[in-house]
Amino acid sequence: MARRGNPARLVVALSVAAVLAVFLVYTSIAGNATPTLRPSQLAGHAGQVSLMGQVIGTPAGDAHAAGLRFKLRDVKGPTAVPVVYKGSVPDLFRSGRDVVVDGKLQGGVFVAVPNTLVTKCPSKYQPKR
Amino acid sequence: MADLGRAALVTSLLLLVYALVAGSLAAWKGRRRLAESAQNALLGSFAATVVASAVLLAALARHDFSFQYVADHTSRELPLGYTLTAFWGGQEGSLLLWLLVLSGYSVAAVLTARRVGREVLVWVVPTLGLVGTFFAFLLVFVASPFATQAAVADGAGLNPSLQNPYMAIHPPMLYLGYVGLTVPFAFAMGALLARRTDERWIVATRRWTLAAWAFLGIGQLLGAHWAYVEIGWGGFYAWDPVENAALMPWLAATAFLHSVMIQEKRGMLKVWNVLLIVLAFGLSLFGTFLTRSGIIQSIHSFTQSSIGPWFLGFICLIVVGSLALVFARLPLLRTKTRLESLVSREATFLYNNLLLVALALTILWGVVYPILSQAVTGQAATVSKPYYNFFLHTFGLPLLLLMGIGPLVAWRRASLRALGRTFLWPLAAALVAGIALLAAGAGSSRIGVIAYTFSVFVLASIALEFARGTAARKALGGVGWPAAFSSLIARNRRRYGGYVVHASVVLLAIGVTGASAYQTVREARLKPGQSMTVAGDRLVFRGFQTRMESNHRAIRGLVDVYRGDKYLGRYTPGKNQYFAEDQVSNEVAIRHDLLTGGDLFLIADQVNSNGSIDLKALQKPLVNLLWLAGLVFVGGSLIALWPDAREERRLAERYADAVVRI
Repeated sequence: MARRGNPARLVVALSVAAVLAVFLVYTSIAGNATPTLRPSQLAGHAGQVSLMGQVIGTPAGDAHAAGLRFKLRDVKGPTAVPVVYKGSVPDLFRSGRDVVVDGKLQGGVFVAVPNTLVTKCPSKYQPKR
Repeated sequence: MADLGRAALVTSLLLLVYALVAGSLAAWKGRRRLAESAQNALLGSFAATVVASAVLLAALARHDFSFQYVADHTSRELPLGYTLTAFWGGQEGSLLLWLLVLSGYSVAAVLTARRVGREVLVWVVPTLGLVGTFFAFLLVFVASPFATQAAVADGAGLNPSLQNPYMAIHPPMLYLGYVGLTVPFAFAMGALLARRTDERWIVATRRWTLAAWAFLGIGQLLGAHWAYVEIGWGGFYAWDPVENAALMPWLAATAFLHSVMIQEKRGMLKVWNVLLIVLAFGLSLFGTFLTRSGIIQSIHSFTQSSIGPWFLGFICLIVVGSLALVFARLPLLRTKTRLESLVSREATFLYNNLLLVALALTILWGVVYPILSQAVTGQAATVSKPYYNFFLHTFGLPLLLLMGIGPLVAWRRASLRALGRTFLWPLAAALVAGIALLAAGAGSSRIGVIAYTFSVFVLASIALEFARGTAARKALGGVGWPAAFSSLIARNRRRYGGYVVHASVVLLAIGVTGASAYQTVREARLKPGQSMTVAGDRLVFRGFQTRMESNHRAIRGLVDVYRGDKYLGRYTPGKNQYFAEDQVSNEVAIRHDLLTGGDLFLIADQVNSNGSIDLKALQKPLVNLLWLAGLVFVGGSLIALWPDAREERRLAERYADAVVRI
């Protein structure tokens, strides 16, 4: 059996190369993934990040007008940051819940990208697997 | 009662350990009697697991809150149906269901798949025993569903979003899929261990693989539908790790279903097939690990539990062990036939496999990226929708196209001239459709036009295959068209069932494209009497209506929908406020347009105290084809799975020597 020139091997090798090329093109065009940070890690990050934290205080304001204002604190730690958010608010959103929201730190306030707020279900529940 | 449950689980564990140890010894030393007793131990473990499951079910039905599991997941007000389905509402019960399904599959597969030959079967039993031992071990020592406590007055209840008919059917379907992949995996390992590397293990487990794959597919579509009508954000798939966890093994299994046909027909790709089933089974274990370990951020949240490390260890054992075995058997897995041409049926199957595996692996990369980046840079980072969408387009669209090409290309070697003839009509149809789409203004989304043009091409080539086959059958038998058509399918169920499944995938692609690429979204704050427009439909807000129910307050916005002057009806998106759980749930209103297949999807985003509503309206063209695809998928799978007496006879002749009782 001649190993050399087997088309199947050629196809596999070429596809692996093609996949790697596509991957490289993607990462160079679309840039890297969004970092997920806690409020205490925010300082020094100018770009867009996912912020994960616990809602503290009473959320105030109108998410469909000037924006909903609340504070996010490290889930384990005291550092907190004010957040302003516009868009849909998930059903489970309220004080004490863990949430994730995308956005940028601007002048000490985390300005969220509209409609990116996601709440984590309370851990007592184990929704669908 | 709990003692009975615990005893049953311990019995099951002991029997599975026996099946593993005695089975291996018997296979190694060639002891027939011992192999028989190992197989009986497998049967016994199934019986013991049934007893354990019955105990848990009975405890749920009797509201026996001395069972921690019952107290944690149900309450007295919970309707009986949801009380029983809470069986798989939590971790311990889920693991028990896993073991129940696994031991059931094991028994059924071992009893029905004797065609594989005795020397393979004796190795299949300990392999199944190994997987079963792992789950029984977890249930006995790490996460027992039979933990007891001082009985409390009432249980904690079930999450409102799980109090839903989909809860009853979606998780078991996924289990049947996940766990079902154990069967082909065990037979593959059995074949390797027995040094029988021909295609028998594939033929013997064909239906099991197909069934597991179909269950996994249906389970995911049900999950998508659940998300669409219940969760109420207007979508059906969010590339969440838990959703991906089910999609990855399905993609790997899809690749496996295709590539085994090449091994059956041409004896090629032996190593590849074994690797694929290891990948599929490994991914299904990994999916369980993901959802059970809490290692990855997900909108689905799970109890942080202690079973994560166990799972990781078991996955490593399975992957390393089976790869070592494949490596050791490499000389036996050499194939004599070669790919003759890059333009042949085999080659298109190979391309399809590479695309499917590439898609599965890029999704896997996205899922584990947060863990990897945490480990490497010390900071977790996540990839988001654009990443997944990019690769879905890059690998998914060529896959769609291949579905139209593959079935029409000849085995071994196809001439370009013949190809031109074959593809004339599908190409013409696709061309016409493309031009029509552009003329109709579908050019707003380039991906959309490509997807739809490819879809028409595939549908046309499938129709052509059916038409040609029927015509040939009619010419042969001298019967009418309907009789020729049904005998065509009956004579080659796998092939034509496969085409029907292909058609369902095209419908799925059309639905998904319509709902994503051509969706219109409008949001507005409306006072009573004010209106907004979405894709030609005028929505007039008429105010709120509040109704008190036994466990919640239902607030509904009254929205009248008009198209031109025509009144289409009143739709009532709103919110339910649950008292006991202190939770709000979004209740969407959907207007299905059966004529166009589109949906008008209304969400009451915010209910304001001054009587106004923040209304979100989504116009989703063709989205209902997605659900139709589910029905067609079930139909196609059933056609392919249906017992076929003619095929059985053919196989019985071919493997006459192998059907030996052990």
